Amino acid sequence: MIGPPMAETVPAVEIRNLVKDFKTSFRRQPLRAVDGVSIRIEPGEVYGLIGPNGSGKSTTMKALLGLVAPTAGACAIFGKDSLKVDSRDDVGFLPENPYFYKHLSGAETLRFYGKLCGLGGRCLQERVDELLALVDLEAARDRRLGGYSKGMLQRIGLAQALIQEPRLVILDEPTAGVDPVGSRQIRDLIFKLRERGITVFLCSHLLEQVQEVCDQVGIIFQGRMIREGRLDDLIAIEDQTEIVLRDASPGLISQITALVENTPGTTLVRTGKPRTTLERLFLREIRAEER
Amino acid sequence: MSTSAHSPRQGSHCGRILVIAVHAFTQLARMKVFYFLAIFAVLAIVSNFLDWSQLAGPEAVGVNVLRTIKSTSFGAMHLFSVVLSVVATALLLPKDAEDRTLYTILAKPVPRIDYLVGKLAGVLLLVFVSLVLMDVLMTVVLQIRTMMVAAEQETMAAAMGYTPEAIASLRADTLANGSSWALQGAVFAVFLRASIMASLALLVSTFSSSTLFTTMVSFVVYFIGHFQADARDFYLQAGQAGQGGLERAITLLVALVLPDFQLFNVIDAVIEGQALPVRMLGQLTLLGLFYAVVFTLASWFIFSDKEF
Amino acid sequence: MKIWRKSVFLTSALLVFGAARLPYEAGLSREMRAAGLLPPRLAIGSRERIGQTSMAVALGGMRTLVATFLNLRAFTAFSERQWAKVEVTFDTIVDLAPRTRYYWETGSWHLAYNAASYYLHESELPPLRRREAWRTYILKGRAFLERGIRNNPGDWHLLANLGFLLADANKFPAFRDPEVSFAAAAEAYRKSAETGKANSFVPRAWLYSLARVEGREADALALARRLYAEGPRNRTPTLVCLLLVLEARENPALDGARRAVELFGSPEKAYDALANHWRRTRERFPVHGVAAALESLEKSLSIPKQESILNQPLPPPPNPDDWFQ
Repeated sequence: MIGPPMAETVPAVEIRNLVKDFKTSFRRQPLRAVDGVSIRIEPGEVYGLIGPNGSGKSTTMKALLGLVAPTAGACAIFGKDSLKVDSRDDVGFLPENPYFYKHLSGAETLRFYGKLCGLGGRCLQERVDELLALVDLEAARDRRLGGYSKGMLQRIGLAQALIQEPRLVILDEPTAGVDPVGSRQIRDLIFKLRERGITVFLCSHLLEQVQEVCDQVGIIFQGRMIREGRLDDLIAIEDQTEIVLRDASPGLISQITALVENTPGTTLVRTGKPRTTLERLFLREIRAEER
Repeated sequence: MSTSAHSPRQGSHCGRILVIAVHAFTQLARMKVFYFLAIFAVLAIVSNFLDWSQLAGPEAVGVNVLRTIKSTSFGAMHLFSVVLSVVATALLLPKDAEDRTLYTILAKPVPRIDYLVGKLAGVLLLVFVSLVLMDVLMTVVLQIRTMMVAAEQETMAAAMGYTPEAIASLRADTLANGSSWALQGAVFAVFLRASIMASLALLVSTFSSSTLFTTMVSFVVYFIGHFQADARDFYLQAGQAGQGGLERAITLLVALVLPDFQLFNVIDAVIEGQALPVRMLGQLTLLGLFYAVVFTLASWFIFSDKEF
Repeated sequence: MKIWRKSVFLTSALLVFGAARLPYEAGLSREMRAAGLLPPRLAIGSRERIGQTSMAVALGGMRTLVATFLNLRAFTAFSERQWAKVEVTFDTIVDLAPRTRYYWETGSWHLAYNAASYYLHESELPPLRRREAWRTYILKGRAFLERGIRNNPGDWHLLANLGFLLADANKFPAFRDPEVSFAAAAEAYRKSAETGKANSFVPRAWLYSLARVEGREADALALARRLYAEGPRNRTPTLVCLLLVLEARENPALDGARRAVELFGSPEKAYDALANHWRRTRERFPVHGVAAALESLEKSLSIPKQESILNQPLPPPPNPDDWFQ
């Protein structure tokens, strides 16, 4: 018996055939920044949009937030049209390289954004404390943002995006210009968000980072979506298998090599020591140093 | 993270406007604008020493100082309020856009009109508070000095054999030159003019690309606005006189587009001791409000679908 | 295209709003001008004199501030005796602050008194030119004051100042006909007194001027009687003497000495006051019956003939011919 179709969930993000042209003062031809992009993100997913600089990532996000109006197509957040104010009830946004008001402290910044979302009183105070703890800025809560490092700014930006408990968070280049430690902290925060079931839509040109955190990936180039799908499906090399051994003796290695050579249709591509990534090496070394 | 069920939170317009206004106020206040008040205090005190009376006799003693205190204070209030209104308004919007803080605000459920009105209200709050402080300072200095002058005149007049009746009338004349309700009304007129300028600067800054451009355009409008009345009168009189043509069209355009700032020059008459009827102050307030609302709505019209 | 449409819409909206407020503004402006809250337009002349920078400031609602600073400039010009500059500066000042009495008073005083006395006493010009300058500045001071009165119709100070200038023994010889200027002085004092705010000296000064206008003696007598009746405050020696003189003129048969004793209380007081009045030739007060009264009083006070006030030489009447030699 065929069951009824699963109750259709409202997607967290739905971008349909988005086209955005920008007027350029020099050329008559408008510049097409985004050309027919469609993205659908289900609640709870972490979606990474990757592409080189100027490929239309930021414009797509701005259109989703209603900061630019689409030339054609439509954007919706949890089913609400992006051009309407109420679509922003459920979304938090961290722009690329954000500058917050330098004259405010971390806690004041969060309170300001909280009040903009209609929070107040004890509820807001608790929320601020909670978020400062989450982004590990409790020690700097009363310091003015003018004295924050890049990584701290990015984290307070993330906390700001989360102030009204949105179900969707949009991060534009969240780790651009941040050192590896900071970058790691932000990555960990994204993991925490995913654990809580918050949908994350991020864009980056740092592929490794996207690879680490995202479930779904879209590749955008010159305004067009050229590849989209589950991360694992996209990057798996289907005809290869990897075996990683610890403390294997040279004898065992030669046995395995011989076995492979005797099996028709299979070739040994390479053996050797796996390399750690430079990022992991860096993090391991500075942790050792700290101890 | 709290596990409370998600509920849509809708802050009120007023609430959001207030948050943005208070924020803009603190932002400007932390740019040290209130240092100006120190300069103002010095001016108010220094104007006490500009006593260059050229007439002898009790009538002339010190009355000039009172006038100098008033005109210097009002000059400073006027200059400060207009410059602050224009520059602060011209600065706030582009700064938010440039620093991308605007994105974070507009990415919250904040209608754009709330943002605009909030910023404007913040600037006006700052201007208002500054004017109140300056007004208090001026009133105190003026009050003290008026009493001193009156006492001095009385002594001199008594020594010169003035009758008590003459002394009383002299005293009344002097007190009329001191602080009065009309003077407070004039300070309010200064505020009204500053509000028009701020909303005008807001309008310009929604389509201008730089703070400098906004400031320049606003000040040009400000200066031409002082000739608006001349243009209007020319238009109306030329109509009666049956003249026509290009001049009429140009003067009509000026009269229609620009605000009449001369109306707010009532402060000069008040400094000279004229009374300011409440009804006229009310009419001025209405006019100021009218401009502020029209310019703000126009700003919203441009800003509502502006892209960043 | 869209932007184009938008700006057209916005411009037309602003024009419509402008059309809506135009009559309101025009009406308010008219009303304020009528209430004296808005100054009259600056004449082109003063716009030029103020200079470009100050002009902008002045138009921007800081006319009184500019006036304050110009007043300092005028003071410097006065200290340096640059009368033409004083005159021009005050012309500008009163254009900026037409309601400030002080500027009208100071300006006219500089012209009619300071500049005029400078040419009377200090200037090294030839006498004829000094005399002409003296006269011109007194006339300028008068004209300035009259302009101030036109701008401030209810101001008793300015009217009284004008009366004072016109009746001043050192000034009236500058005017063509002293009779006319006494009449004008009386008129100014009358208007000042009738504002109801003037000090008590003003009605008396009115009488002092009116008494010197030929043909108005009856009016003067009525005024003198009224003021005398108002109380002791008004019974200054000048006023009482004038009352006596005017009565004597009306009734030539009046016993002046007896009336004087009656008015002053004692023959000594009466004699002192009348003797003083007799000697005030510079002021051109009328002296009907004074000589007879003095003669009679001298008899009763047994003052010897050779000491009689009537035999003393009188100060000469003011005559500019003697001043400029």
